Amino acid sequence: MDEEEERTEFLRDRFRLSAIAITEAEGRKQGMEISEPVVACIADLAFKFSKQLAKDLELFAHHAGRKSVTMEDVILSAHRNEHLGCLLRALSRELKGKEPQNVRKKRKTSKTEDAPTS
Amino acid sequence: MEDLSFDPELMHSVFKLVWSKKSEKNGDTGIINDDEVAAGTSKKSRQTTANPNALKVSCELVRIFVTEAIERAAVIAEAEGSTKIEPTHLERVLPQLLLDF
Repeated sequence: MDEEEERTEFLRDRFRLSAIAITEAEGRKQGMEISEPVVACIADLAFKFSKQLAKDLELFAHHAGRKSVTMEDVILSAHRNEHLGCLLRALSRELKGKEPQNVRKKRKTSKTEDAPTS
Repeated sequence: MEDLSFDPELMHSVFKLVWSKKSEKNGDTGIINDDEVAAGTSKKSRQTTANPNALKVSCELVRIFVTEAIERAAVIAEAEGSTKIEPTHLERVLPQLLLDF
Protein backbone atom coordinates (compact mmCIF):
# COMPACT_ATOMS: atom_id res chain seq x y z
CA MET A 1 0.00 0.00 0.00
CA ASP A 2 2.80 2.34 0.92
CA GLU A 3 4.57 1.65 -2.27
CA GLU A 4 1.47 2.41 -4.24
CA GLU A 5 0.98 5.69 -2.46
CA GLU A 6 4.54 6.57 -3.29
CA ARG A 7 3.92 5.76 -6.92
CA THR A 8 0.79 7.91 -6.89
CA GLU A 9 2.70 10.83 -5.45
CA PHE A 10 5.46 10.42 -7.98
CA LEU A 11 3.03 10.33 -10.86
CA ARG A 12 1.10 13.29 -9.56
CA ASP A 13 4.25 15.35 -9.26
CA ARG A 14 5.37 14.43 -12.73
CA PHE A 15 1.97 15.30 -14.08
CA ARG A 16 1.93 18.61 -12.24
CA LEU A 17 5.32 19.52 -13.63
CA SER A 18 4.15 19.15 -17.20
CA ALA A 19 0.96 21.03 -16.37
CA ILE A 20 3.05 23.84 -14.91
CA ALA A 21 5.23 23.94 -18.03
CA ILE A 22 2.16 24.23 -20.23
CA THR A 23 0.63 26.88 -17.98
CA GLU A 24 3.74 28.99 -18.08
CA ALA A 25 4.13 28.66 -21.83
CA GLU A 26 0.54 29.77 -22.26
CA GLY A 27 1.09 32.71 -19.94
CA ARG A 28 4.06 33.81 -22.02
CA LYS A 29 1.97 33.51 -25.15
CA GLN A 30 -0.67 35.74 -23.59
CA GLY A 31 1.96 38.17 -22.36
CA MET A 32 0.67 37.65 -18.84
CA GLU A 33 2.36 37.01 -15.57
CA ILE A 34 0.79 34.24 -13.55
CA SER A 35 0.95 34.21 -9.78
CA GLU A 36 2.21 31.11 -7.99
CA PRO A 37 -1.03 29.93 -6.41
CA VAL A 38 -2.78 30.09 -9.78
CA VAL A 39 -0.15 27.88 -11.40
CA ALA A 40 -0.35 25.36 -8.58
CA CYS A 41 -4.11 25.39 -8.64
CA ILE A 42 -4.29 24.81 -12.38
CA ALA A 43 -1.83 21.95 -12.17
CA ASP A 44 -3.94 20.32 -9.50
CA LEU A 45 -7.11 20.92 -11.47
CA ALA A 46 -5.55 19.28 -14.51
CA PHE A 47 -4.60 16.23 -12.50
CA LYS A 48 -8.06 15.88 -10.99
CA PHE A 49 -9.59 16.42 -14.39
CA SER A 50 -7.47 13.60 -15.82
CA LYS A 51 -8.50 11.24 -13.05
CA GLN A 52 -12.14 12.01 -13.70
CA LEU A 53 -11.51 11.57 -17.40
CA ALA A 54 -9.99 8.14 -16.76
CA LYS A 55 -13.12 7.04 -14.88
CA ASP A 56 -15.39 8.34 -17.63
CA LEU A 57 -13.40 6.65 -20.37
CA GLU A 58 -13.45 3.34 -18.55
CA LEU A 59 -17.20 3.55 -18.13
CA PHE A 60 -17.74 4.43 -21.78
CA ALA A 61 -15.53 1.62 -23.02
CA HIS A 62 -17.18 -0.92 -20.75
CA HIS A 63 -20.59 0.28 -21.78
CA ALA A 64 -19.64 -0.37 -25.38
CA GLY A 65 -18.51 -3.84 -24.35
CA ARG A 66 -14.82 -3.10 -24.82
CA LYS A 67 -11.82 -3.43 -22.57
CA SER A 68 -9.88 -0.87 -24.54
CA VAL A 69 -10.48 2.87 -24.67
CA THR A 70 -10.68 4.36 -28.15
CA MET A 71 -10.61 7.88 -29.55
CA GLU A 72 -14.39 7.80 -29.84
CA ASP A 73 -14.66 7.43 -26.07
CA VAL A 74 -12.52 10.50 -25.55
CA ILE A 75 -14.62 12.52 -27.99
CA LEU A 76 -17.75 11.29 -26.24
CA SER A 77 -16.43 12.58 -22.94
CA ALA A 78 -16.39 16.08 -24.46
CA HIS A 79 -19.87 15.85 -25.97
CA ARG A 80 -21.29 18.65 -23.83
CA ASN A 81 -19.05 21.21 -25.47
CA GLU A 82 -19.50 21.44 -29.22
CA HIS A 83 -16.32 23.37 -29.92
CA LEU A 84 -14.28 20.99 -27.88
CA GLY A 85 -15.88 18.06 -29.68
CA CYS A 86 -15.00 19.59 -33.05
CA LEU A 87 -11.39 20.19 -32.04
CA LEU A 88 -10.93 16.65 -30.78
CA ARG A 89 -12.68 15.19 -33.79
CA ALA A 90 -10.34 17.08 -36.10
CA LEU A 91 -7.36 15.74 -34.19
CA SER A 92 -8.68 12.21 -34.22
CA ARG A 93 -9.23 12.40 -37.96
CA GLU A 94 -5.67 13.60 -38.38
CA LEU A 95 -4.35 10.76 -36.25
CA LYS A 96 -6.48 8.25 -38.10
CA GLY A 97 -5.10 9.53 -41.38
CA LYS A 98 -1.60 8.75 -40.18
CA GLU A 99 -2.51 5.14 -39.57
CA PRO A 100 -4.21 3.77 -42.63
CA GLN A 101 -4.55 0.25 -41.29
CA ASN A 102 -7.48 1.09 -39.06
CA VAL A 103 -9.39 3.34 -41.44
CA ARG A 104 -11.85 0.67 -42.47
CA LYS A 105 -12.48 -0.44 -38.95
CA LYS A 106 -13.87 2.96 -38.01
CA ARG A 107 -16.24 3.18 -40.96
CA LYS A 108 -19.32 3.84 -38.84
CA THR A 109 -17.81 6.94 -37.24
CA SER A 110 -17.85 8.96 -40.45
CA LYS A 111 -21.63 8.97 -40.30
CA THR A 112 -21.74 10.48 -36.84
CA GLU A 113 -18.96 12.87 -37.60
CA ASP A 114 -20.78 14.79 -40.29
CA ALA A 115 -23.74 15.94 -38.25
CA PRO A 116 -22.26 18.21 -35.57
CA THR A 117 -19.53 19.82 -37.63
CA SER A 118 -21.96 21.39 -40.12
CA MET B 1 4.10 29.13 -31.06
CA GLU B 2 5.19 26.59 -28.49
CA ASP B 3 3.41 23.31 -28.78
CA LEU B 4 3.97 21.90 -25.38
CA SER B 5 1.70 19.09 -24.44
CA PHE B 6 1.43 16.22 -22.03
CA ASP B 7 3.34 13.05 -22.62
CA PRO B 8 0.92 10.29 -23.71
CA GLU B 9 3.00 7.85 -21.68
CA LEU B 10 2.44 9.91 -18.56
CA MET B 11 -1.26 10.14 -19.27
CA HIS B 12 -1.36 6.39 -19.68
CA SER B 13 0.27 5.88 -16.27
CA VAL B 14 -2.30 8.17 -14.66
CA PHE B 15 -5.14 6.28 -16.35
CA LYS B 16 -3.71 2.93 -15.37
CA LEU B 17 -3.36 4.10 -11.79
CA VAL B 18 -7.02 5.12 -11.64
CA TRP B 19 -8.17 1.94 -13.33
CA SER B 20 -6.14 -0.37 -11.14
CA LYS B 21 -7.34 1.39 -8.00
CA LYS B 22 -10.92 1.07 -9.08
CA SER B 23 -10.78 -2.59 -9.97
CA GLU B 24 -9.09 -3.24 -6.66
CA LYS B 25 -11.79 -1.57 -4.63
CA ASN B 26 -14.76 -3.24 -6.23
CA GLY B 27 -14.76 -5.76 -9.02
CA ASP B 28 -16.09 -2.96 -11.20
CA THR B 29 -18.94 -4.42 -13.21
CA GLY B 30 -19.84 -6.98 -10.60
CA ILE B 31 -16.96 -9.31 -11.24
CA ILE B 32 -15.86 -10.91 -8.00
CA ASN B 33 -12.59 -9.69 -6.56
CA ASP B 34 -10.79 -12.94 -5.79
CA ASP B 35 -11.38 -13.97 -9.36
CA GLU B 36 -9.01 -11.18 -10.29
CA VAL B 37 -6.39 -12.12 -7.77
CA ALA B 38 -6.48 -15.82 -8.46
CA ALA B 39 -6.82 -15.89 -12.22
CA GLY B 40 -5.43 -12.62 -13.49
CA THR B 41 -5.18 -14.04 -16.96
CA SER B 42 -8.89 -14.64 -17.32
CA LYS B 43 -10.32 -12.34 -19.96
CA LYS B 44 -13.21 -11.12 -17.84
CA SER B 45 -11.09 -9.62 -15.11
CA ARG B 46 -8.49 -8.02 -17.34
CA GLN B 47 -7.88 -4.37 -16.74
CA THR B 48 -9.00 -1.60 -19.04
CA THR B 49 -6.45 -0.52 -21.63
CA ALA B 50 -6.19 2.48 -23.91
CA ASN B 51 -5.09 2.69 -27.50
CA PRO B 52 -2.26 5.11 -28.33
CA ASN B 53 -4.39 7.47 -30.36
CA ALA B 54 -6.96 7.69 -27.59
CA LEU B 55 -4.13 8.71 -25.27
CA LYS B 56 -2.99 11.41 -27.66
CA VAL B 57 -6.50 12.81 -27.88
CA SER B 58 -6.78 12.71 -24.08
CA CYS B 59 -3.54 14.65 -23.78
CA GLU B 60 -4.93 17.24 -26.14
CA LEU B 61 -8.14 17.45 -24.13
CA VAL B 62 -6.28 18.10 -20.88
CA ARG B 63 -3.95 20.55 -22.63
CA ILE B 64 -6.95 22.50 -23.93
CA PHE B 65 -8.36 22.50 -20.40
CA VAL B 66 -5.20 24.08 -19.04
CA THR B 67 -4.78 26.67 -21.80
CA GLU B 68 -8.45 27.56 -21.65
CA ALA B 69 -8.19 28.20 -17.91
CA ILE B 70 -5.29 30.60 -18.49
CA GLU B 71 -6.90 32.30 -21.45
CA ARG B 72 -10.14 32.96 -19.63
CA ALA B 73 -8.36 34.18 -16.51
CA ALA B 74 -6.21 36.42 -18.71
CA VAL B 75 -9.29 38.05 -20.19
CA ILE B 76 -10.57 38.89 -16.72
CA ALA B 77 -7.16 40.15 -15.61
CA GLU B 78 -6.92 42.33 -18.68
CA ALA B 79 -10.36 43.79 -18.07
CA GLU B 80 -9.14 44.82 -14.65
CA GLY B 81 -6.07 46.42 -16.14
CA SER B 82 -3.68 43.97 -14.53
CA THR B 83 -0.79 42.15 -16.21
CA LYS B 84 -0.64 39.41 -13.65
CA ILE B 85 -3.17 36.66 -13.25
CA GLU B 86 -4.18 36.54 -9.59
CA PRO B 87 -6.18 33.85 -7.80
CA THR B 88 -9.27 36.06 -7.84
CA HIS B 89 -9.22 36.06 -11.63
CA LEU B 90 -9.10 32.30 -11.73
CA GLU B 91 -11.89 32.13 -9.16
CA ARG B 92 -14.11 34.19 -11.42
CA VAL B 93 -13.72 31.91 -14.43
CA LEU B 94 -13.60 28.58 -12.64
CA PRO B 95 -17.33 27.79 -12.35
CA GLN B 96 -17.99 28.21 -16.06
CA LEU B 97 -14.75 26.46 -16.96
CA LEU B 98 -15.69 23.39 -14.98
CA LEU B 99 -19.13 23.38 -16.54
CA ASP B 100 -17.60 23.54 -20.00
CA PHE B 101 -15.36 20.50 -19.53
